[in-house]
Amino acid sequence: MSRRPTHSERDKGVPTQPYLALRALFADAGYSFVDLPIVYPASVFVELAGEDLRRQLYLTSADGGEELALRPDFTIPVTQHHLASGAAKRKAGYAYIGPVFRVRPGESGEFMQAGVESFGRADRVAADADMLKLAFATAALFGVKKPAVRIGDSALFAALLDALDLTPPWRERLARAFGDTPRLRKFIASANRQPPAPRSELEDATLEEVKTAVAGKFAATGLGEAGGRTADEIAARFIAKEELARGIPKRAASALTAFLKISGTPAKALAALRTLAKDEKLALSGALDTFAKRNDAFAAHGIRLDGLTFDADFGRRLDYYTGFVFEFPSAANGPTIGGGRYDRMTALIPRSSRGTGSNVAVPAVGFAVWLDRIGKGGPK
Amino acid sequence: MSAPLILAVPSKGRLQQDAAALFKRAGLALTSGGTRSYRGRIEALPTVEIAYLSAPEIAREIAGGSVHAGITGRDQVAESADRKADLTLALGFGRCDVVVAVPEPWVDVETMEDLDDVAASFRPTHGRRLTVATKYINITRRFFAGHGIADYRIVESLGATEGAPASGAADLIVDITSTGATLRANGLKTLSDGLILASEAHLVASKKMRWTADQEKTYAAVVAKLSAVV
Repeated sequence: MSRRPTHSERDKGVPTQPYLALRALFADAGYSFVDLPIVYPASVFVELAGEDLRRQLYLTSADGGEELALRPDFTIPVTQHHLASGAAKRKAGYAYIGPVFRVRPGESGEFMQAGVESFGRADRVAADADMLKLAFATAALFGVKKPAVRIGDSALFAALLDALDLTPPWRERLARAFGDTPRLRKFIASANRQPPAPRSELEDATLEEVKTAVAGKFAATGLGEAGGRTADEIAARFIAKEELARGIPKRAASALTAFLKISGTPAKALAALRTLAKDEKLALSGALDTFAKRNDAFAAHGIRLDGLTFDADFGRRLDYYTGFVFEFPSAANGPTIGGGRYDRMTALIPRSSRGTGSNVAVPAVGFAVWLDRIGKGGPK
Repeated sequence: MSAPLILAVPSKGRLQQDAAALFKRAGLALTSGGTRSYRGRIEALPTVEIAYLSAPEIAREIAGGSVHAGITGRDQVAESADRKADLTLALGFGRCDVVVAVPEPWVDVETMEDLDDVAASFRPTHGRRLTVATKYINITRRFFAGHGIADYRIVESLGATEGAPASGAADLIVDITSTGATLRANGLKTLSDGLILASEAHLVASKKMRWTADQEKTYAAVVAKLSAVV
């Protein structure tokens, strides 16, 4: 099995010949390279990306029993670094190159990634276009010609949900399932079906009655509310479930189905989205104007719009992604370059991990290159 | 003499008693074992060596390929030896269900879909992820992923899992139950679609272990004798 040398980039003496051109490309675009630790508290990754990521983590324990992990990507460590090294909202651009570690059946668990992350740019549309342009330049460096790039936009889907006549619990369910189209379809299909009547004796109870009943159950079972779900919370959701039972209105369901099918070049997709908005009388003009402006920015950046495919159902199932996403395809097991906007991440980084306590959403966009996938020989 | 077939048998508890009784009924009475000895034999089948281990260890050793076969629960195979073992024969004892159980006061949570809603809204409200105590980490991950649930964290439980919600160690649990009495006693209820797996003891063969023709023949003899009496 032939593999790239996987020494740490932190060993300054070791030359990293294959990636000199890539380093120059990122540096010339204004990004400064950061050297980051390889080992982190596992909780940082699990809290942000969820339990599903944990099975991909290489875990170990610290002396005191704290669970540690080898970094599975750079985006979370770079964001932490940004928060720990100054004001959260300041403008900054970082670049990185080095090994990341994920348990991957049938593949090496240690592989190289490079990428850039940009924080604090309020001109989001231009920042998105800059990012995609740099990704194209990166692909070109590896000899990838005319890649068929896929783009998506979770902000557009969020705007659609706001424009539709949906109850809050349904809106949340659908927003959460974005990126998992079979699951979304299942929700939409089941929406008009009346769910089975609750087995509970609390049917038709008022909020106060439910609260009292739940408090009684807490007392009877000896289970405490401390740190967990409270009687107020449980009762409120119990009442709100009536809204779930009412389902998704037929019009909303058909609009959702039509939306998820939209796919094509940015121009064609925009036309289809405008038609849908007009036919269904949806207030989508804000989101569609942003979409149009971003297309214009792509063109102004010299990006060939015909090389892009917008899929309305394309998104990442990580709740810190908030808008534009893109992906360069590969022959085999995943994208060669993946990127997107993740304005929510800074707010989600646990306060305790660095004591920065930002809890502030900061505009952030970036991409990662899977160096093990994009080119075996390194850039030309 | 060629190398023996290594057969792992539970070393303690109900499973040990039931397994010993089964072998005896099949005319394959086990010698020694008990609490002190970790190795035993079958008088009637000298080409078998018995290794006494706990049920979770048996699944792990089968997955690791250090024993040829053994008796353990389907739950343990699903947890530790998924795709590395063949379930040769169901044995009719050690029946239990692996279930998702939540606090009884959660009157709004009846289904996995409810749990998904609760998990997703938990972190914004409480500043941490919803936690699930379990010994069945892999089974839980697969089942939750199948229901599209991502916003939770597993807390590995080593002792009495059913006590985790009461002690504050976790919000809910994934654990085994046979009658549900223990869950109820701890103020927990199962979700209507929260049955992950109906388990029972099985004779299980390792796909990782290297088998000689003689060992395969011996195993076939054990299987034939046992299947005649289950």
